[in-house]
Amino acid sequence: MAGLRPIKFRLLELFSDEKEHWNNEIVEQMQKEYGMNSNFGRDSINFDIIELASGGMLRSVQSKVDEDGVYKKGFLLHKYIITDFGKTRASDACLMYV
Amino acid sequence: MDIRELKKLENKRKMNKGYMWALFCALLWGIWYIPGTIIWAVPPFDAMWVDIDATHGGSMATIVVALLISAFNALTVIVALLIWNGYLGKFGEMKRTLKEFHPCSKWFFLASIFGGPIAILGSFIAIGFIGAGFAAVAALLYPVIGSILARQWYGEQISKRAWMGILVIIVGGLTIFVGGAIAEISAGNLSYLGYIGGLMAALGWGIEGAIAGKGLDIAEPDVGITIRFLGENLLYWVILIPIAAIAGYPILEYALQAFTPLALLVLGFAGITFGFCYVCWYKSFPLIGVGRGQGIGNLYGLCAVIFMYLFMAQVPAWTVLVGGALCVLGSFVMISEDTGDMESLRGE
Repeated sequence: MAGLRPIKFRLLELFSDEKEHWNNEIVEQMQKEYGMNSNFGRDSINFDIIELASGGMLRSVQSKVDEDGVYKKGFLLHKYIITDFGKTRASDACLMYV
Repeated sequence: MDIRELKKLENKRKMNKGYMWALFCALLWGIWYIPGTIIWAVPPFDAMWVDIDATHGGSMATIVVALLISAFNALTVIVALLIWNGYLGKFGEMKRTLKEFHPCSKWFFLASIFGGPIAILGSFIAIGFIGAGFAAVAALLYPVIGSILARQWYGEQISKRAWMGILVIIVGGLTIFVGGAIAEISAGNLSYLGYIGGLMAALGWGIEGAIAGKGLDIAEPDVGITIRFLGENLLYWVILIPIAAIAGYPILEYALQAFTPLALLVLGFAGITFGFCYVCWYKSFPLIGVGRGQGIGNLYGLCAVIFMYLFMAQVPAWTVLVGGALCVLGSFVMISEDTGDMESLRGE
């Protein structure tokens, strides 16, 4: 796991391709990268995404109910995109090092 | 229920979670004033005060004892936080965040300057000179500073209702400070250093919240708060305590004598309550914003006055009670807005 960056840095990095991503797909990728395979790890990463959205760095562009249980059955899944503020924070906080 | 309704419900749940963290913060913060008061009468801190009073006077004795108590408070808080992070399995994330000094952890170290030797030391100075009830209520002004700075620095939204709450809190704060000072001036014994301590607490915590909010954008709250207390410990134990020792105060001798079961028990109680109050405080910021997090966290003033009355039989002056009630009312005004449609705390 050497060379990994803080979780929120990596999340911003993943969103900085300026494409829309479903939260469950990002969570799955992060779980693999950081070896956080437990339910606690999954919820912890998702909560970091929620915090980034709450802080105005990501914006939810689409939502759907998780009918198939790909993340948590019955819960809402969100498709996020990075905001201008998120790009600014990403560039002045971390991505300039990438 | 359609998607829009579900989304609204999810936002509301998220905000409620933030409010819950802030409320836990208020409860634990209020309880913290009990060990924060008792510790002054526990050996060796009581003897230390008498010792320094004999050579440098009572005011200096109170400030130096407050410094040592603040340093031990920071030490027990970091122990509690390290255990908490160990339990959550976040040491790896802590290491990763610490490494990112320039973009991230510097904010927490900066927050530790305002939160530690300014706010917490100021609070202990206010406890030492005037009393825990005053210290608790005086710091109630801090959300005003935090909200205004959070708006100026990173555009956090403040609604009209929040501004109204801020105004009520300011009036409450003025009642506490000016009312208390006038009563003391007319009695001929103004503890001005205690008032400065109260002001340090309000300014320090307000600025700390706004700075920490910047770091919390890109860090996990549990990790951020631990780095912030790491910074505070370094400030006390590497800079301020050695300076006090070099200046001729017997601070190191008494620091070594503090490792007694009773002192450690009281300090441990302070560390657990304060450590977890901070965890709750920092966890609330990303969910409801610095302004609201500090606003609801402000209920600690009410909790502190109640706990100090129940456990220490301390009844604060009427100006403190009236001012405190206004601050609590202002906090309620700040947080009573409808948040169902609010997805982001920032203005985008």
